[in-house]
Amino acid sequence: MARVILVFNKQVIKDYPFIKENMTIGRTDENDIVIDNLAVSGYHARIDRAGDTYILTDLQSTNGTFVNDKKIVSYRLRHKDKITIGKHLLFFALSKSEQAKAREGELDETMVLDTARQKELLAKQAGRKGIDLTGAKQKLGVVSFIDGSDQGEIELSKKLTKIGKAETSEIRLGGLFMATTAATISRRPNGYAITPTGGTKVKVNNQVIRESQILNDFDTIEIGSYKFQFYTQGSGDEK
Amino acid sequence: MELKAAGITDVGLKRESNEDYFSIDNALGLYIVADGMGGHLAGEVASKVAVEVINKNVNRWIAQQVPDDELFDYPDSTLSKRANYILSGIKLANRVIYELSKVYSEYKGMGTTIVALSIMPSVAIAANVGDSRLYLIRANTIEPLSKEHNMVTEQLEMGLISEEEAEVSPLRHILTRNLGSSDTVDVDVFEIEPRNNDRFLLCTDGLTDLVSDQEIFEIVQNGEDPEHLCRQLIVKANGMGGNDNVTASLVFVHNLEQENQGIVKKFWSRSK
Repeated sequence: MARVILVFNKQVIKDYPFIKENMTIGRTDENDIVIDNLAVSGYHARIDRAGDTYILTDLQSTNGTFVNDKKIVSYRLRHKDKITIGKHLLFFALSKSEQAKAREGELDETMVLDTARQKELLAKQAGRKGIDLTGAKQKLGVVSFIDGSDQGEIELSKKLTKIGKAETSEIRLGGLFMATTAATISRRPNGYAITPTGGTKVKVNNQVIRESQILNDFDTIEIGSYKFQFYTQGSGDEK
Repeated sequence: MELKAAGITDVGLKRESNEDYFSIDNALGLYIVADGMGGHLAGEVASKVAVEVINKNVNRWIAQQVPDDELFDYPDSTLSKRANYILSGIKLANRVIYELSKVYSEYKGMGTTIVALSIMPSVAIAANVGDSRLYLIRANTIEPLSKEHNMVTEQLEMGLISEEEAEVSPLRHILTRNLGSSDTVDVDVFEIEPRNNDRFLLCTDGLTDLVSDQEIFEIVQNGEDPEHLCRQLIVKANGMGGNDNVTASLVFVHNLEQENQGIVKKFWSRSK
């Protein structure tokens, strides 16, 4: 079983065996390890167990959490690591059998952290930083026509939006010189990207493009005689 | 459209067994790579089961043109029909591995990553869970078409840590999602329109942990034979230490007819 040993002024205050799936460290009484000192935040840090691995996470504390004198955000604890919180030290120790296991696992074994706990952990970190987690998800893109045509605004709800003359296009544009599919807008890991597919000239911010380009909020797109603006929902009305 | 593909998996220099698995189906245009985890033989079982469940079911659904509502789990209305087949296949594979790990004690805790690519002339579909990756190499650029589901990436996306902190973080190998650890799974799916001469690379973290995107890009561009290029990627990873199993699968798109030509071009090419 792993243990956490709390030390202050070179004296062992208490020895905490790791009996649950996680342990919290902080000033308030609800913590598993209570350190009553003003340099310590109410909920300062926590240690989570994922299989045979222990992960220390700073809960965006005011004065920070240090391991072996380096400031950390998240850290995978090893035997004999020294955690510093304020003027208190916490030593992390594994049992003999766990140390042997840890040596076997030194090859950076991949593991999965229980989803519920991981979400809780990230939510807590985000909460301390005042980050709204719902905003971390990719925002829905919208194109807004500014050419006087009656298309109005169209949400880019599909992963791949085809723009062109074809009946199957998500955004249908007419005109003699319009290609069956003139361009596509796809949701990619890096954001929304527009790709010209040939036939009709595609401009982004007045520049003709030939390859895919990532779209930024309020980019102006021109396809043939059509003109519209791209933005992601929620942009512009915050901050 | 013609698809040319090759894949190689290698145990690496430090592991005793290879828990990676991959499949290539040029007829269907379906390519899959999986990186299994779990003690003894469980990791090997998980990656193989995942790849085979997806292949078998997606094949059947396509052959029978099964409607969306008859698929496993709920379809995603933002996706094309083919993408829903892939999505459903991955979700089904997750359930199968999850159930196996519950029933058989030797499979307890087994799981796998998955990255799948399906190419049709009109659309290329990328789907993944975990930290195996898919890259698109097109017109002198390399771009990820997969999302990494590990602690570091999530912390980075939420702005909790910086890029510099992410690169050295010890949490890179802590996955937040995989197939097999829960009865349901969220899958990231992307769709793009393929282009002639596109190159796609599916690979496991045994490659990307040791070889940078830029180095991958240079190797993948440097030749026409996908098998030879896969071999070079493996050699590179092993040359950097070969810490883990490594798998690379390359898919080249050739002779893709660009039907999307405007009326002028159409007449122009006819009159020539």
